[in-house]
Amino acid sequence: MITVATEVNAANTHKLDLTNLTPEQTALQIKNLDLYYGEKQALANVSMDIPKGQVTAFIGPSGCGKSTLLRCINRMNDLVDTCRIEGQILLHGENIYDKRVDVAALRRNVGMVFQRPNPFPKSIYENVVYGLRLQGIKDKRKLDEVVEKSLRGAALWDEVKDRLHDSAFGLSGGQQQRLVIARSIAIEPEVLLLDEPTSALDPISTLVIEELISDLKDKYTVVIVTHNMQQAARVSDQTAFMYMGELIEYADTNTLFTTPSKKKTEDYITGRYG
Amino acid sequence: MIRQWFKSGSPWIWMTGGAVSISLISVIGLLALIAWRGLGFFWASPVHEFHIQGSVEQHTVIGEIYDHEVVPASRVRQAGVDLGDFQGEELTRYLIKTGNREYVELDFRWILETDIQSQSTPHNLAVFERSKNGNFYGYIEQVIENGQPVQGDLEEKLEELVERAVDLNEQALDLQNGDIGHINYELERLRLKERGYELDNELTHERAAELEAQRKALREQYKELEKTLFQLRDDAKRDQVVVKDMRGELVTLPLYQVLDFWLPNDMGFFAKVGHYFGQLGKFISDDPREANTEGGVFPAIFGTVFMVMLMAVIVTPFGVVAAIYLHEYAAKNAVTKMIRIAVINLAGVPSIVYGVFGLGFFVYMLGGSIDQLFYPEASPSPVFGTPGVIWSALTLAILTLPVVIVSTEEGLSRIPSQVRQGSLALGATKAETLWRIVVPMASPAIMTGLILAVARAAGEVAPLMLVGVVKMAPTLPLDGNFPYVHLDRKFMHLGFHIYDVGFQSPNVEAARPLVYATAFLLVTVIIALNITAIGIRNHLREKFRALDN
Repeated sequence: MITVATEVNAANTHKLDLTNLTPEQTALQIKNLDLYYGEKQALANVSMDIPKGQVTAFIGPSGCGKSTLLRCINRMNDLVDTCRIEGQILLHGENIYDKRVDVAALRRNVGMVFQRPNPFPKSIYENVVYGLRLQGIKDKRKLDEVVEKSLRGAALWDEVKDRLHDSAFGLSGGQQQRLVIARSIAIEPEVLLLDEPTSALDPISTLVIEELISDLKDKYTVVIVTHNMQQAARVSDQTAFMYMGELIEYADTNTLFTTPSKKKTEDYITGRYG
Repeated sequence: MIRQWFKSGSPWIWMTGGAVSISLISVIGLLALIAWRGLGFFWASPVHEFHIQGSVEQHTVIGEIYDHEVVPASRVRQAGVDLGDFQGEELTRYLIKTGNREYVELDFRWILETDIQSQSTPHNLAVFERSKNGNFYGYIEQVIENGQPVQGDLEEKLEELVERAVDLNEQALDLQNGDIGHINYELERLRLKERGYELDNELTHERAAELEAQRKALREQYKELEKTLFQLRDDAKRDQVVVKDMRGELVTLPLYQVLDFWLPNDMGFFAKVGHYFGQLGKFISDDPREANTEGGVFPAIFGTVFMVMLMAVIVTPFGVVAAIYLHEYAAKNAVTKMIRIAVINLAGVPSIVYGVFGLGFFVYMLGGSIDQLFYPEASPSPVFGTPGVIWSALTLAILTLPVVIVSTEEGLSRIPSQVRQGSLALGATKAETLWRIVVPMASPAIMTGLILAVARAAGEVAPLMLVGVVKMAPTLPLDGNFPYVHLDRKFMHLGFHIYDVGFQSPNVEAARPLVYATAFLLVTVIIALNITAIGIRNHLREKFRALDN
């Protein structure tokens, strides 16, 4: 039952051939990934290639494993004691589940933004430079520079530039989420994972974040989990539909939403379940 | 109807509200009682002169009314007292504090209402507070300055002379405790140094000579200072006051023993208020006198606060580190669960057991080993191998460890996992996340643990009696002699002071108000420590007001 979308619209020549990406085009390769929580299998033989510098969306009904898959990419599932993983995820051709991999270094390279905004109980400034301080960077000028650049990158600079040293808790939910994005891009990861980043936000904040995501793909590979299909359609370049721990269909967004090749995908996007 | 009422929840609200009220009333009542009985003592109460018709002859009693009680007349008659033609069922008897301890048999006496022929409060009756033998009551007859009787306003002159004597005494005391104490301390250090050389077989002639020279220099200084000291003391002895006491005899009081005097019957309200706060200040800032039944309690306040703070400094890191291990690193299995249960149960062990443990383990084993290793020259007198403030702090730290561990764990478990994950996702290791995010966010909970620990430790007396508290400590654990902090010293404690004054005192009546006053002070100190900690906690809470949205 494992199918990777193979039918690429031949007319769309500028679209990537997702089954056959060149190494330069590839950010991540997921190979035959199985994941178990104790006895329960949460992901079954997932394989996909995620292209560089694009936005890839994971959609599917609740509990389908899309967040689990996302959290595999920066090994957040390591925190779950009962979690067991088989298969490979390749970053620069190296398996991130290899024993020699430094997990902290991996996570510096693969940033993550969570469902609910989770700023640290520190000032806005300290939130942004947190990752840099971890790396031992103390140079004030360098830090100031990064703060401005990251906050501009997260479209937050103009709103907070006069109160950088105020508590991050004073920001609105949408601002907090953009602060978290700024915090993630401050350490310049290659890949940015967004786990339903707008599900706790109001429509206007959501819009701002969506615009931000489109801007981010110039510099980062973005992988976003969302249960809002319109959002996936708006922001992503390719979309993966998952169901019951399996990857049902993976194609460029346009194709997936207009001419899905699988019955299950069609049922989902036309609202027959989920 | 009734069912409706029960259903509405009203009885439940009344019951819970009632429970709260009862607790509040008992706490306030307790505080009010000890405050009233303790703090009333410093008020300048009037001094009465009674003319008493005794069984044989008439005599005069001068003193403060200390207490009174109503007794049935029949009981007094049974006791063999002739009440004459007294008709009533009951009569009052008064407890009079007559002072003048060295001239009368008892400085407190009961007198019966029926024996009082007349009672007055002469405005020229004076109370003398003395450094020895307690208060003296009487009429000022003569003031002698430098051997010559003073003319004119005796009170004014006396005030001046008392101030002078008190001043000189203070200078003498400062000299004795300061410079002379320092020289003694240095001499002792030289002796230990010499002994140390001797033990190591390194005592060469040069060294011995050098030590001897130093010692000689110190002795010279000592002689100089001693001369000054004696001069000050002699100077203080210059003046006297002649007082007529209740026996009608003239008594000469040397002024160097008089700390203060006042004429309570002549004082207005504001003068009394001023006098009250003066006395209260002396109670808080002075050293105790006369086997703790008089004077102040400053060393006890200092000892209590110092020991509690030392305990807090010890227990916080230990408790926090233990809690972090249990909550963050230990595998979640049966062993961890058992350790946790054991920790919680430790809180239920009677405190005297900790005292015994502290004496056996800290004082004898740890302290004894420290002495053997580092202070062989002091042998046979122990340095750390004897009860002291450090061992008291350590014992109480163990006693309060469970509280800190439990509340820290509680705090750690309340940190939202998203915040931890946020830190991990930025490439922080678990340890970095703990130190930079989790522990700071748990700090209000840690403070809560500390507040509970301080509240428990400050009120604990039983274990301290085994590991460091004494009735009277000549020196504080902090002073001007190197190394300034003397953790090996014994100390005084308010809780033990209450016990000592209340139960071990030679003069029960005189000590009673001090028991209340000290108890009130102990409660005040604990409240002050707690309020400080609560203030810090609220500040931290505000700072880390975590993801409430």
